[in-house]
Amino acid sequence: MNIHRFCGSPDHAISRRGFLGTAAAAIGTAAFADMTGLDILANSVLAGEMKKQQKRVILLWLAGGASQLETWDPKPGAATGGPFRSIQTAVSGVRISELMPKMADRMKHKLAIRSLNTKNGDHGGAAMLMMRGRRDEANVKFPDLGAVIAKEMGRADSQVPDYVTFYTQTEGRSMAPGSSGFLGSRYAPMELTTNNQPDNIKRLDGINELDHQQRADLRDLLSKQFAQGRTSAPLGSHNEAYQRVRGLMASDKLFDVSQETDKMRDQYGRTQFGEQTLIARRLIEAGVPFVRVGRAWWDSHGQNFETHQEMVPELDHVMAALVDDLKDRGLLEHTMIITLAEFGRTPSINPSLGRDHFASAWSCSLTGASIKPGAYGKSDATGNKVVEGEVDAAKLFATIYSALGINPHKNYYLGARPVPLVEPGTEPIKEVLA
Amino acid sequence: MANPEKLKVAKEVSHKAIAFAMARVAESMRVYLGCSDFKVYEADLAAMKVEPKELYGHESYVTGVALAGKTLVSGGYDGKLTWYDTDAKKIIRSETAHAKWIRRVVASPDGKVVASVADDMACRLWDAATGKQLHELRGHGEKTPNGFGSMLYAATFSPDGKHIATADKVAKIKVWEVTSGKPVAEMEAPIMYTWDQVQRLHSIGGIRSLAFSPDGKTLAVGGTGKIGNIDHLEAKARIELFDWSTQKRQIEYVSDKSQGLVNALRFTPDGSFLLAAGGANEGFLLVLDRDAKKTLRQEKITAHIHDMTIDEKGETIVMSGHNKVVVEEMKG
Repeated sequence: MNIHRFCGSPDHAISRRGFLGTAAAAIGTAAFADMTGLDILANSVLAGEMKKQQKRVILLWLAGGASQLETWDPKPGAATGGPFRSIQTAVSGVRISELMPKMADRMKHKLAIRSLNTKNGDHGGAAMLMMRGRRDEANVKFPDLGAVIAKEMGRADSQVPDYVTFYTQTEGRSMAPGSSGFLGSRYAPMELTTNNQPDNIKRLDGINELDHQQRADLRDLLSKQFAQGRTSAPLGSHNEAYQRVRGLMASDKLFDVSQETDKMRDQYGRTQFGEQTLIARRLIEAGVPFVRVGRAWWDSHGQNFETHQEMVPELDHVMAALVDDLKDRGLLEHTMIITLAEFGRTPSINPSLGRDHFASAWSCSLTGASIKPGAYGKSDATGNKVVEGEVDAAKLFATIYSALGINPHKNYYLGARPVPLVEPGTEPIKEVLA
Repeated sequence: MANPEKLKVAKEVSHKAIAFAMARVAESMRVYLGCSDFKVYEADLAAMKVEPKELYGHESYVTGVALAGKTLVSGGYDGKLTWYDTDAKKIIRSETAHAKWIRRVVASPDGKVVASVADDMACRLWDAATGKQLHELRGHGEKTPNGFGSMLYAATFSPDGKHIATADKVAKIKVWEVTSGKPVAEMEAPIMYTWDQVQRLHSIGGIRSLAFSPDGKTLAVGGTGKIGNIDHLEAKARIELFDWSTQKRQIEYVSDKSQGLVNALRFTPDGSFLLAAGGANEGFLLVLDRDAKKTLRQEKITAHIHDMTIDEKGETIVMSGHNKVVVEEMKG
């Protein structure tokens, strides 16, 4: 059994599965059945323990490649700087684009990494790299961040999905699919592409809840009778599959944003991105370890400044709402918010007033989960190259895993072959880990 | 006498910055340029070796310059208007005029009124002599139909100075009476605004240029057509002409060669031809025959063009754009 020391305190160095097994047994299935009602975090010993132990991740995937110069790494006054000014943040000496005043106020919770050099400026290849932290090998498809978090943080007895991804726009969706790689379909994402609620998990109209429960009870009774004296992995898996389906069917309310108050919905904003991010918060609060909200499409080859003038304020607003909401619920230190894309954008401004693909010196942000706030790494005065603290995809992923309490050097096994979570020899950015 | 058949490049001047806006001194080739390096320059394009001279700076892109007599008024994305005495060569005043980016600054034909339009969706009219605000014209929506901030891109005075037209990102056009500040007409050119709900969830386009015909009856509107892939400015350049008094669209011109935004529109002084300049990754100059309702010339320009002036004879066209100033002539 793997031991995960989530908060670093020896007092809390207990086994996740061990803890959950005990807790689940103590509370019984009734509590888990009601998990989707979000009551689990309201008032219980379990809620407290979950807050202490369980880390969650919300990935805001800025598909197409948002500009670092119009977000986390402005260069005002440089020939490459564009028209936007920089503003002082709540962290002394750290300035970000004027398009993000709300993030500037909340910078004490946020780390901007300004020194990504990921060397891939092609949408498809770069998206896979930044979703997985490494390139696939000829015969090995690596799991992406969501799948790894689902495996590491998910629970065998969970009745909510382990990995949910929203990507409603069509552009770039096929280039950045959620993928569980060699971990298999157990850790594949629930993908929502057409609306904010999963299709096909609703109970049939012709069956009421009592009918549905009684059918499940009957199936359970027959299964137990059949299982007496028998032990086999397929049998256990069969029963687990039924429990998960039942759990997923009960979780439809988690995806229903109308369950939130008008005030909360207004806080996030009634945009698609705002509503999906609010649902992401509902999901992680109910125990879903990883949610990606894809916000396409930032690929501003033409009219870069108009595009960012339109899109960055929305990002700023939604991120601020999420940070405040998680903080109010006491979940910010247990939840990591990542803003990431496949790459950034060129410092040079093309004749269409656009910026093109650029992977040599770009930025991302990490918030919460005990990440030290501020800025890490540095690009040069024009933003063309990294001059301090270069970070590649592997190092970024090692940092994320470490912050979440996952040993980045742990091995998965493909047959007898050990496969480390990140490229061998990669160390996390120790300076940003609490 | 303007002769589009004789259209040719007379001069190209490289410049270290993008020249977004230009004002020409009457009866001369002396121009003022508003640029992406936050500076305002003066250049004599008649000189053998053109060397733009830096005059003063803003705190962001300078996107509007207008001459009101001897006073140069510049506006930028810093929201400031700077008033500069071109004789004394000194700044008269520099004040915050708008809460958001100033997109254009224009002067009335008699030089008595200056107008600025900005993304706070206000057009402000200023007394050119005193800098005092005369009117604030409001009526363009602050949000797009999809809830994002709109932008107010274009403004132009009518030849008699009695009206001013303004146009925005969602392709709404308003005509206002200058003395009262009241709106008198409203039109739209919705094809010029593209909102992509399905693929990319943002927008592009908008009306970028306006021009009244010399008789004041026709209002020309420039932008681009519906864009399929809004990552790029890939639609054909588009111009629509309105009889603004009846608010009816008269003519639509769609270039079959030139792609991108029409950033500048100018009628020749006799009203025979309409010039349209702009670009995407490269620039273009279109010459349209208004009476024949056809495009006479579609010239490729070596820079995306952001602004344009035409001389008093209608023969010399000066265009400013991406790291370049281009002079073309069409002398009969």
